[in-house]
Amino acid sequence: MSIFKKFLNFKGIIGITLVLCVILIAVLAPLIIPPEFATRMDMRARLSPPNMAHWMGTDQLGRDLFYRVMLGARTSINIATSAVLMSLVIGLPLGLISGYFGGRTDNVLMRLVDTLLSFPALLLALTISAVLGPNLQNTIIAIGIAFTPYLARLIRGEALRVAQMPYVEAARSSGATNTRLIIGHVLPNIMPVVIVQSTISLAFAILAEAGLSFLGLGTQPPEASWGLMIQASRDYLDRAPWTALVPGTAVALTVLGLNMFGDVLRDVLDPRSQS
Amino acid sequence: MAYFIQRLLSMAVTLFLISIITFTVTNILPGDVAMMIMGTQSNPAALANLRESLGLNDPLIYQYGRWIFGMLTGDWGNSLLFKQPIGPILLQKMTASALIVLLSMTIALTLAIPLGVWSAVYKNRWQDTAGSSVSILGVSLPDFFWGIMLILLFARALGWFPSSGFVHPNEDFLLALKHAFLPSLALGLGLMAHLTRMTRATMTGILSQEFIRVARAKGLAEKTVIWQYGLANAIGPVMTVAGLQMGYLFGSIIVMESLFNYTGMGWLTYQALLNRDMPLIQATVFVIAAVVMLVNLLVDLLYPIFDPRIELK
Amino acid sequence: MKSKIIHNAISALGATVILGLLSPAWAASCPVKGGTLIWGHSETTQNLYTHQTGTISTMRILQNIHDGLVTTDKNLNIIPELAESYVVSKDGMSYTFKLRDGVKFHDGSDMTSADVKYSFEKVMDPDTGAVNKPVFNSVGSIETPDNLTVIIKMDKINAPFLGRLAALGAGAIIPEGSAETQGTMPVGAGPFKFVRREIGNEVELERFDDYWNGPACIERLIAREVTEPTVRLTGLRTGEMHLINDIPADRIDEIKADKNLEVLSWSHGVFDFVNLNYKFEPFQDQRVRLAVDYIIDKEVLLQGALWGQGKTAASPGFASSASYNEDLTQRPQDIAKAKALLKEAGYGPGDLKVVFKATTNYPYHVEAAQILVEWFREAGVELTIEQLTWADWLGQVWVDKDFQMSMMNFNSIWEEDFLYYSLYNSTGGFNYRGINDPVIDELTEKARVTIDDAARANIYKEVQQRVFDKVHDIVVWHRNSSFGAQKSVGGLDTLVNADGATYHFHKVWLKE
Repeated sequence: MSIFKKFLNFKGIIGITLVLCVILIAVLAPLIIPPEFATRMDMRARLSPPNMAHWMGTDQLGRDLFYRVMLGARTSINIATSAVLMSLVIGLPLGLISGYFGGRTDNVLMRLVDTLLSFPALLLALTISAVLGPNLQNTIIAIGIAFTPYLARLIRGEALRVAQMPYVEAARSSGATNTRLIIGHVLPNIMPVVIVQSTISLAFAILAEAGLSFLGLGTQPPEASWGLMIQASRDYLDRAPWTALVPGTAVALTVLGLNMFGDVLRDVLDPRSQS
Repeated sequence: MAYFIQRLLSMAVTLFLISIITFTVTNILPGDVAMMIMGTQSNPAALANLRESLGLNDPLIYQYGRWIFGMLTGDWGNSLLFKQPIGPILLQKMTASALIVLLSMTIALTLAIPLGVWSAVYKNRWQDTAGSSVSILGVSLPDFFWGIMLILLFARALGWFPSSGFVHPNEDFLLALKHAFLPSLALGLGLMAHLTRMTRATMTGILSQEFIRVARAKGLAEKTVIWQYGLANAIGPVMTVAGLQMGYLFGSIIVMESLFNYTGMGWLTYQALLNRDMPLIQATVFVIAAVVMLVNLLVDLLYPIFDPRIELK
Repeated sequence: MKSKIIHNAISALGATVILGLLSPAWAASCPVKGGTLIWGHSETTQNLYTHQTGTISTMRILQNIHDGLVTTDKNLNIIPELAESYVVSKDGMSYTFKLRDGVKFHDGSDMTSADVKYSFEKVMDPDTGAVNKPVFNSVGSIETPDNLTVIIKMDKINAPFLGRLAALGAGAIIPEGSAETQGTMPVGAGPFKFVRREIGNEVELERFDDYWNGPACIERLIAREVTEPTVRLTGLRTGEMHLINDIPADRIDEIKADKNLEVLSWSHGVFDFVNLNYKFEPFQDQRVRLAVDYIIDKEVLLQGALWGQGKTAASPGFASSASYNEDLTQRPQDIAKAKALLKEAGYGPGDLKVVFKATTNYPYHVEAAQILVEWFREAGVELTIEQLTWADWLGQVWVDKDFQMSMMNFNSIWEEDFLYYSLYNSTGGFNYRGINDPVIDELTEKARVTIDDAARANIYKEVQQRVFDKVHDIVVWHRNSSFGAQKSVGGLDTLVNADGATYHFHKVWLKE
């Protein structure tokens, strides 16, 4: 009961609403809207501002922005979720092992992570794209790899903290195996931080996809994704700003929702941030 | 003293690792500068010729060794694209970026700290949401969007600032600032999101602590409590985060500088990457990574000074 | 005695006056002298050593610093430049150039035949890595019997040689011994001297007062690099720049309507074509290639991708050149016919899947590709797009020839041998589509040894016909290039060279 109460503030409500809306759109839109609505072109109505025929206006090839942004939700959320999952798959074990065992293992692993953190994410992404090729899977890999160091470091910090707690020490001396301790004790205790960070990372992953479209990575045209739509608007910003504002607002609302949801989630899950 | 030396050694090791990764990354990139130079005049024979004359055929270990040795002795090699020594180019471009980095960080902090404090004080109420929304705006639209919007507003409509280009601070400091302002503002908007959030989180933590209750009980004005007692202690962690944003900032300048044709390190790195100018890629990527690493190190070393547990009065 | 002196004096005076009137008069061709022209250039200037530069971006700057032996007039006829006259031997095996007397380089030295020999031998030297080395492939020796005479002896007939010398700075003459320093301090005999360059920022040139063809009108030229189109346009509008090249296609009409600005736009010089790789099995069938041609509506594509800024054409040649085949007209869109052809070739709806590699270096290629996807879908073909950066496109499509379908643009190749041989001969340097047509091979070889210009032009017309018949490529249009300028810039009609891609600032002036 008290958990729900914590969500029942201004921020929590807005956050959850936004997140739910985006998820609903991402799931339902492709089922309701025929895919060709996003790619059909009307050459006589290029770069037209929002009007009755096109609720959110059209882009430079005369494609309806409303349908594109609705259908694009799924692509963007898909990429973001997959990328964050990937960074978890690599970063979680890495951080856990490093934090739990400490010592030399920790030193070596964190040295590697810190080195990677020194490189701008864009650079890593560019390299990966150049080597692997520009398609959806590789975009996910690029973002996933770029996010891993930060996540690994965070998890390592938490794992270290939990591993040093008295009851863990006690359990260890009473003969519990490392594996059982890591999975049974450390992992559950760091989950709040992991969940919260993942939520935030989702937001940044969506933004990352937008950034990578700049390099020709990511969704390949003519498919719609918010990142690609924003990128395509670059040359038309002064005469048709809605081409950027429509997908941009979608991204903004999603990121806002995720951030607020994450903040409130942290308040609920993480005992340390209690007032 | 021993600690200092230990950190220095540790730094050297990281730099070494950075150099390995840089070199590997550069050489993994498919395509080469010979092709970029010849463009559509490229044909296998001419390309082979050019590659030979550019020294691209030597064994990798040899190239790596040559590079490291060169850097240690101050010879950063020549850009294959511009046919000029890289050292002076780096210096000039680093000065340009230093200006933007400092300016954008200043702008970001000036905007983020008040916003974050405001959000923290009114936690979970509409002010908090408003604060989050404003700061999120900075990151939810990409850098080039803000860049172009600012150009259209301040350069085109108002004519207050130039729309592109770079002027060296030594030549004309005021003009240099003018050219740096718009890109810095655009970058600052991007930094704001994370900084506002950190300020809010830290302030929230501090405002819930015992000594704040004590200060209030003593009858001090709320304003004094928030700013002198609260923020003063929050500044440390916020600065820490600001320092750690360097990595993100250096990534952002790659796009932003290219947009404004503000020829700094970001612009140089992008050109190098685009054109597969190997020596230049190695130099720029290494320098950026090294600078980010150094800033992170600095932040690590200075952190104890900022730790609120030590500073509490 | 006295009368003789007076007589001589008057003659001398008269001669001076007459000579003054005859020599290239500064005052006559420059309405206003002086001023600093700021040009917003869309490209980054790279290597300043002209022999090693292959990209138009840097060529544009260098062509104001260097003059060549010969050049072309507005109609692409070859005319002398640094050479005063030239004679080609009847058998086509030797070229004799008489150099102009009194031509000065920027460093003050006089141009002699030794400089010509030096320049060309540098290009022929493999160590230089000269981009134009192939131009001199048939050259056997270069003789300099006196200071102002150069005799180039060929190993075999190469009729296009003179044309190649006139194109793309191949015939640029640099002072003897200056190759090592050309990268940092380019010195030539052109109308402008190099002052300084800031990498990525700008290049500054200043008027060379001793230019053989009369000093330029403007005092100083600053070429500022502004690659982002919106920013470049803003720079023009705020007055930060006097002129810019390449106004974004969708803004041209708007700028033309702006009373404060002047627009120069032309459609020769750049052509775009859709490429089908012979290495991709389906494209080895003539019917499939024909079908692709029938799927594309070239006019609509031009509207869609380039906002109509261009002229559809079936041939890649320059419309103004004698060898242009005017009889060719593009095939119209006919989806039904395309479907029928595909069926004949064994591809029913949904059977054929093609990947289109488009480079983000030319954003309008990506737009065009998206439009093509829709048409191909109507014809029952699944077309997917892969975006590549320029470096990747060059690597994959151009060098490795690893692609199925793509699109490319070429500029400034007006010289027919360079154009048709390189693109369509099976050994051509630009033949990334794997075209292997014995008829074309025979024709392009024949052209190389045909000395008569009219006959050679006819051969090239046949080549164009053959390319069209066999659908070796699908030429879509000649794209417009443009310049936007403040009203204060004069002489704009002299700015663009006949090749449509490089610029000449000699006779441009500022109404300050």
